[in-house]
Amino acid sequence: MTQEELNNKLSGIKDKVTKIDKMSETRIYLYCESENSYAVNKFLFEEVPLRFVIATGIDSDDCFEVLYHYSDDETGCIVTAKAFIRDRENPIIESIAPFLPGADWAERETHDVLGIEFKNHPDMRRLILSDDWPEGVYPLRKDAEKPGKRLGGDPAKRPVDQAKCPARRTIRLSKPIVPIGPSHPLQEEMEYFQLSVEGEIVTDIDMRLSYNHRGIEKISESLQFDQVPFLISRICGICSASHPLAYVQAVEELAGVTPPERALYVRTIINELERIHSHVLWLGLAGHFIGYDTVFMWAWKYREPILDLLEEITGNRNNYGNVKIGGCREDIPNELKPRILKDMDETERKMDMLIKAVLDDPVLHVRLKGVGILTKADAIRYAVTGPTARASGLPIDVRRDDPYATYADLNWNVITRPEGDVFAKAVVRLLEVLESIKIIRQAVEKLPDGPIAVEVKEIPAGEAVGRVEAPRGETFHYVRSDGGNRPVRHKVRAPSYVNVPSFKASCIGESIPDVTITLAAVDPCYSCTERLAVADKNSRITHDYEALLRLSRDETDRIREEIGSQHLKLEDS
Amino acid sequence: MNWRIRALKKSPWVFHVNTGACNNCDIEIVDLLTPRFDVERFGIKLVGSPRHADALLVTGGVTAQAAPRLREVYRQTPKPCVVFAIGACACDKGIFTTGYHMVGPVDKIIKEIDPNAIIAYVPGCPPKPEAMISGIVKALSAL
Repeated sequence: MTQEELNNKLSGIKDKVTKIDKMSETRIYLYCESENSYAVNKFLFEEVPLRFVIATGIDSDDCFEVLYHYSDDETGCIVTAKAFIRDRENPIIESIAPFLPGADWAERETHDVLGIEFKNHPDMRRLILSDDWPEGVYPLRKDAEKPGKRLGGDPAKRPVDQAKCPARRTIRLSKPIVPIGPSHPLQEEMEYFQLSVEGEIVTDIDMRLSYNHRGIEKISESLQFDQVPFLISRICGICSASHPLAYVQAVEELAGVTPPERALYVRTIINELERIHSHVLWLGLAGHFIGYDTVFMWAWKYREPILDLLEEITGNRNNYGNVKIGGCREDIPNELKPRILKDMDETERKMDMLIKAVLDDPVLHVRLKGVGILTKADAIRYAVTGPTARASGLPIDVRRDDPYATYADLNWNVITRPEGDVFAKAVVRLLEVLESIKIIRQAVEKLPDGPIAVEVKEIPAGEAVGRVEAPRGETFHYVRSDGGNRPVRHKVRAPSYVNVPSFKASCIGESIPDVTITLAAVDPCYSCTERLAVADKNSRITHDYEALLRLSRDETDRIREEIGSQHLKLEDS
Repeated sequence: MNWRIRALKKSPWVFHVNTGACNNCDIEIVDLLTPRFDVERFGIKLVGSPRHADALLVTGGVTAQAAPRLREVYRQTPKPCVVFAIGACACDKGIFTTGYHMVGPVDKIIKEIDPNAIIAYVPGCPPKPEAMISGIVKALSAL
């Protein structure tokens, strides 16, 4: 679809919207009243069709706004449907989750933090606020905070109503369930998964967030524009270059600033180094889960030189804090260029070895192929991004579709696989590491001389979005300014937010050992598997983390034996 | 010296709890196990159950939803158990101090159920693996 075709198509919904606002060629806003929001969204998702990104709720002075962001990946255009809810006392809007499961969490979250009711939503349980959070207190409403009082009251005095705990409410004891989490002994964050099983086969999956909810969007509203990058680089330690970059790009779009070219190249190099370290980290942990600890140790060993490079450039192994509005904070000294190139050669050699070891292993082929398939249709319905989408045959990559930094000037490929299984996800990530090495080499060689930052004096009123291809997928930031020193609203959509709900499509019908690796394949929660208890109707069997790991590894061993015996038979005949 | 404390100092087994961290401290903790740092050389081992743990490595500033789970994990550890608050968030909630969903920091939550708990602090965002090793050595030699 070209830009013109998109514009023509969008005019098809003219009678339902009050205004079509073009901020720029690639940023289009459609204004509508809350009654028409369902029709407008259905049109955008099904008729145009666009990829759903996220919904943002905003408390404006006299009304509530719900913004549905969509992306057209062929033109790199972001289309936002802005629905106004005029009734502040009783805010209701029709849910779009029935036809767009990818919007399920976004609407639940908006309900949690702003108290907007979504009519006809299939599952309006609490998502991100804690079990003991008082009803009727909505943290992102502008009038939520009372001076001198803690938002939500004193946590020590909050009553805990166990019956209202959203995770527990869904437990139906007639069916065996496998709760995974919330506390994970090995690594990663707390998360709660609840698998309903019949024998070994998973029939349903439910999730509970909130363990890691820190209220970053609210804290961001209390910081100044130039302080925010430090906060949001701590959203996720592994994506700590991508989140600030997305935010900074949004603010730069607002202020109309273009950073100097050298800064753009530095950003490219830091972001690609981050991608390599993240993908290699994933490979190691995935190996660990299926019983290939050698891969785990190798991968993490070869990741160290990348961290050393990042430390050399930015001063920290993680949490780089290198990007600022108008440029970069730290430069890449020209003396460092030969070392980066040398390290890239070394990493490429090691990765070649790892890729051969992993992709040529007959056991892994049997263990991972055809497991946890996410079909292309489901990938679109759940609006997944990043390697998860590319492994399901969706060729989307923000670096190519809506180019930022200097990706448009460099020569590289978007890796896609049609299969959608765990093996495809591994292949996509491994080959992307090689692409990243290619990008870094070109960027280092082309690195121009000059300043690395321009001064930005004022952020005018307005709204803007920025997005970046993080290692796990598209990270999306929406920033609104009223002309003051601080953002009035800052919405963050991390890639896992859309990738995790796709478990509903990929895990059902799999056996428990396969679910372990399927959950890991999306890369948000390698360690969701810990402290696991199988509750049966009559007896209570407890599976801890090690037992589950053993299940997964036994499966690999079984396959290895099977293959081994087949080989022997072939040789005999 | 109390024999329990003496036993604790040899080959400490650790259990990792994330109470709302950004994963940075967590990947650095896992990094400790991999070839460059390899703390298993010293008998420091990450275990899969709090009941086997001599020490808890707690990261994150404790969110409202995670606090009861942290208390539960601490209750399950055999005492004496050293609690390591790893990273700026665990020490004093760090950059998330003003967050409405934060009820920490770690020492406050742990001391609510055990006023005599042994708590060690390793600051940094994230602390480098060397800093974590140094923190563990210092804490154990101070016991």
